[in-house]
Amino acid sequence: MKKRKVVIGGCLLTLSFFCGAPKEQKPVEPETAYKKEYFTRKRDYWPTQDWKVKKPAELGMDEAKLAEVRKYAFTRTGDEQNRAGIRTDGVVIIRNGYLVYEEYARGYDRNRKHHIWSDTKSVLNAAIGIAVRDGKISLEDSVGKYVQEMNTPEKKDIKIKHLLEMSSGLFWDEGYESSPLKSLVIAMLYTRGRRDMGRFAAEQEVVHPPGQRFYYSSGTSNLLSLALRHALGDERYQTYFWDELYNILGMRHVTMERDMSGTFVASSYMYLPPRELAKFGFLYLNDGVWDKKRVLPEGWVKYTVTMASAYYTTPLTPTLAKDNPGAHWWLNLGIPERGVAPPWPRAPRDTFAAEGHWGQFLFVIPSLDLVIVRTGDDRDGSFDVNTFLGLISESVKEGK
Amino acid sequence: MKKVVKWLVVLLVLFVGGFVALNWVHIKSFPGIISAFYAKEFCSCFFVEGLSEEACHNYARQWVPISSFTLNKDEKTVTVGGLGRTTTVKYTGERYGCAYAHDP
Repeated sequence: MKKRKVVIGGCLLTLSFFCGAPKEQKPVEPETAYKKEYFTRKRDYWPTQDWKVKKPAELGMDEAKLAEVRKYAFTRTGDEQNRAGIRTDGVVIIRNGYLVYEEYARGYDRNRKHHIWSDTKSVLNAAIGIAVRDGKISLEDSVGKYVQEMNTPEKKDIKIKHLLEMSSGLFWDEGYESSPLKSLVIAMLYTRGRRDMGRFAAEQEVVHPPGQRFYYSSGTSNLLSLALRHALGDERYQTYFWDELYNILGMRHVTMERDMSGTFVASSYMYLPPRELAKFGFLYLNDGVWDKKRVLPEGWVKYTVTMASAYYTTPLTPTLAKDNPGAHWWLNLGIPERGVAPPWPRAPRDTFAAEGHWGQFLFVIPSLDLVIVRTGDDRDGSFDVNTFLGLISESVKEGK
Repeated sequence: MKKVVKWLVVLLVLFVGGFVALNWVHIKSFPGIISAFYAKEFCSCFFVEGLSEEACHNYARQWVPISSFTLNKDEKTVTVGGLGRTTTVKYTGERYGCAYAHDP
């Protein structure tokens, strides 16, 4: 109390603009990575059958720079025994809708599925979008409408949008190897929660009001997956991702694993070849439209790549300051008003990404008309996204 | 001197006991992680991704070694023992991949 008086006194004495309200309380209008002109480009074909290939130079890309990308991604920098260093398994680059570069390593190839871990969350975003389009679920619905454990006085204000924006206020501890004892994500995937992961997440305590605090929670994704299951009905849900998404985009080799109760583990367990994941990214680059068919409802992609509003009321630790959450996708906007830099300053600010454990990435860069997939098995964090995206971005010389 | 040691032991026991009591829900399920993680990740690596057994062992191994491992290619199951627990995971097909065969 005393200290405060001194501070206030100091404010009056010095120039008042140094003092004012603490920075984090100033409301900021959520920024978006969406710019219509970049999301509605004309396409001369759709890669439903497969990607057509072009030489990078035909599409204004510098081949020498791409050679640097290759060198950065595929040069092993540690020994295999310790699973050390950068361990890239695959890279696919799509420019103007054409495949300009692809390479695989460590036993992977064009047709082999790769575990994409938390990139799965961004695929769940699409399924929710489709269910919204079909009128099966709404962002403003209480989660309690679909999941019994959430239909309590304390939890009934938590809405579908809060789950998508990872700001439900439900307790979560997302540590993998760092805190195996108390990690809720490990308990959910491997032990206590593995029978019914959505319910496991729903049973956590309320620790913040909904929509106020962002923190990463894989539980949130499985709770959302469970809500979708109940919104659609089980029969529809079990084939929904294929009927409404994969079959339309020509994603022919997708595995999605389920918990013991039959709910998709939408936080973590999807497997597919990188070329097919690139198709999924291409859907977002085209505003959710695929070959004249609107897959995601109007406005959905914009919503997805707009910063989650709770992010602006969350005290940002250095780790959180790099998260930049959209709706189950990750952005590169930073918060310029507060001097929070974008996580990958060498990449355009409108870059957005699906990101998964041990180095799984799907990047979309609308301003450069790029989709990039990178799979790997990095155990020590030596793969630097900023360098990788920087080199690729700099390879685009013309026709931005 | 003896008295001091005795009290230190009592304190240590209380401290450890308290920690265990407070974290019992976590501690109880902890040993199961080793076999569950190995079985689940090996199953998906081998049956879903189709990588070699060697590559999948290298993918699934953790700091704590496992005590037993059985890959049944006919039944499409992986059974792993570790820290006194055993976990079986079964491959169910291309679409839905691997899933636990039983509760922890």
